[in-house]
Amino acid sequence: MSRTRIDPVLRALPAWLVPLAMLAVTEFAMRASGIESDGLARPSEVATALLGLIGNGEIVLRTAETIGAVTIGVAVGGTLGLLLGVWMGLSPTAARLASLTVELVRPIPPVAIIPLMMLIYGLGIKMEAAIIAFACFWPMLLLSRDAVLGVEPQLIEVSRMLGLPRRQQITKIALPAALPRIFAALRLTLGIALIVAVTTEIAANPIGIGYAIISAGLSLRPEVMYAFLFWLAILGWLLNTGLVAMHQHLFGAAYGEAPR
Amino acid sequence: MNQMTSRFAPSAAACAVPAIAFDKIRLDLGGKCVVDDLSFSVAPGEFACVVGPSGCGKTTLLRLVTGLLSPTRGTVHRLGAFVGGPSPDVAIVFQDYGRALLPWRTAAGNVALALEAMGTPRLERAARAAALLDKVGLAGHGDKYPAQMSGGMQQRVQIARCLAQEPRILLMDEPFGALDALTRQALQDEIAMLVRDSGATALFVTHDLDEAIYLGDRVFALQANPGRLAQVIDVALPRPRDQLGTREQPEFLRLRHVLFDHVQNTH
Amino acid sequence: MNNWLLRAGSILLTSVVLLLWQLVTATGLVRPIFMPTPAATFVDLWRGLTQGDLLALTMSTMQRMIFGWLLASLGGVLLGALIGLSSRARYWLSPTLELLRPLPASTLLPVGIALFGLHPQMLLGIIAFGAIWPVLLPTIHGFSSIEPRLREVAKTLRIGPLAFALKFGLPNALPDIIAGMRLSLTACLIITVVGEMITAQQGLGSTIIMAARSFRSTDLYAGIVLLGVVGAANNALLGLLEIGLTPWRTART
Repeated sequence: MSRTRIDPVLRALPAWLVPLAMLAVTEFAMRASGIESDGLARPSEVATALLGLIGNGEIVLRTAETIGAVTIGVAVGGTLGLLLGVWMGLSPTAARLASLTVELVRPIPPVAIIPLMMLIYGLGIKMEAAIIAFACFWPMLLLSRDAVLGVEPQLIEVSRMLGLPRRQQITKIALPAALPRIFAALRLTLGIALIVAVTTEIAANPIGIGYAIISAGLSLRPEVMYAFLFWLAILGWLLNTGLVAMHQHLFGAAYGEAPR
Repeated sequence: MNQMTSRFAPSAAACAVPAIAFDKIRLDLGGKCVVDDLSFSVAPGEFACVVGPSGCGKTTLLRLVTGLLSPTRGTVHRLGAFVGGPSPDVAIVFQDYGRALLPWRTAAGNVALALEAMGTPRLERAARAAALLDKVGLAGHGDKYPAQMSGGMQQRVQIARCLAQEPRILLMDEPFGALDALTRQALQDEIAMLVRDSGATALFVTHDLDEAIYLGDRVFALQANPGRLAQVIDVALPRPRDQLGTREQPEFLRLRHVLFDHVQNTH
Repeated sequence: MNNWLLRAGSILLTSVVLLLWQLVTATGLVRPIFMPTPAATFVDLWRGLTQGDLLALTMSTMQRMIFGWLLASLGGVLLGALIGLSSRARYWLSPTLELLRPLPASTLLPVGIALFGLHPQMLLGIIAFGAIWPVLLPTIHGFSSIEPRLREVAKTLRIGPLAFALKFGLPNALPDIIAGMRLSLTACLIITVVGEMITAQQGLGSTIIMAARSFRSTDLYAGIVLLGVVGAANNALLGLLEIGLTPWRTART
């Protein structure tokens, strides 16, 4: 078991030289050619800038702003979506009744809500959280509905044969069976939330990592821009890897492999 | 008995060059010896069946003939030539028809795949594919996708695709193993006829002893771990065979007994 | 319950929502600056489309989105096919792709602006480049996940590498490609709108943010409704594409 887990990591190791080599080539080429650009920075400069950002605490501040907005947004939008989604999954009639309204509102791209929330809340963490909540509501609603609908019909039949009352059918059979897929939905939703947060910050909202990236770019400090970009990639990767590991830990034994 | 000998009598000279010849084959896969010291040959036009317990390397033998695998030691010859790789002369019917058909092509399209590979002119393909589907009893089903067909129908498509190659050697890897009993019997009779009409040499792998005796001119029984040849049985039952009559003949029952005893003993 | 009854109920619910919207806004419960009445919104939308330049703005946004999407799809499929068919390329490139994947496409906008400055081709290039990822990764998966048995079929039939890519790889990857193209189109719409917002290039994105800044809320709502329509049209288009291109998945006995 442990061997199969370690092996792919070890085998992939040489391939990790590719991004490193690309960085080295960039560094070397830029040093050799002496290019000075407002849009490019040597990897070594980016590393220095990153250390500086860690040193003066700016990276922590910016990250806290973005993560704060993500947390509030997912808590509000995700919870609402989850509750309505589970309800729709349990009651097909409710799902059918809401279908037209859902189909009309869902296609609105979350970024279109940015100006509206600016109008209502002004700039700041509140408007960003509201946009994230809107963006997270739909995937959570649809995925948790599908999670409940996807519960093995035989399980429901078993619960009926056992003579469980409706309430216990839901709490003891339907919800536990849907749980892994609901968690997977949460994982996807968190990924979307991070993207929407950064996008909102880039488009309009002067807080968080997104704003740090675009303001560094506009004020001609490419090394800071790339440092934040690098950090954002790490953050996104950590988020996904952490959630996959958590999924495995929570449901691995009972439900099998986590979908990636 | 006489029928069998008469069938081979005219080609006695050709028997000098077997259609398939395994010579002292040894095959290691993943550090494990799968087949060891295996030698036998199949005459042109012969219908040879291979039986044996799982893990005796039955499927491996077919792969060696296709050239998808090479032996660790020993040689495989096909129609007198050393096997270097796949050839249009050799077609193989896989057991898992669900995986061996292109799901995005219709029945006719799947048969046409072989025609395309053979370089059949574009204009002739449709008619040829239709004729081949007709031959395997699928007339009028040409525009169905595999997902729309039953297992038996899908396996017929695979057989038609193999026939499209006009192979001189037809390999079959437990082709009817996943089918229900009635479909299996129908397909057994059809494949016997199709092989006889085409004059191809057949190497048929199965775990079903009755099926091996019913179809084969000879049955090769293998033993497992590592795979070795354990016994060869000549099936002297007259052709054409039929599901009821043949299976009730004393000779059939005797061969069945012999094979069954053998399988019991090697386990 | 009856099918028709449910459908009627679904329409009724939407009407109730619209009615509630009309009620809370017309009675002054919500200030019209935050939320104009639906009637005012649709009148404004109609006037903007027939007399104003709303139609032209929508077209300019859609043009950018579609061009970017086509470029991204083409690039993603070609590149994905090359990587997907070669296990060696897959091995060497997957960590790099894995590193780049979590970056939101919109972060390309600041990079593009810093590198190339503000001009229309830059925006189109960023849309295409940002939207390539959702196509590229599923395409790689689609080309590399060909059933091993089918690889053997191709070998026994002695099918060459190009024919294998076209007859086995492409159809096998097509469902993944279409799913990727769906995500890619959504990404294109998002990057287009955000790009227009930042660079103030003509389009719905710049229009709605200007409307919000000058507190013209009916214009803002009209723009949001239009973007919703574009989003819905995208979904419908991809649905048709899916049925048209992968008939074997929708065909049933």
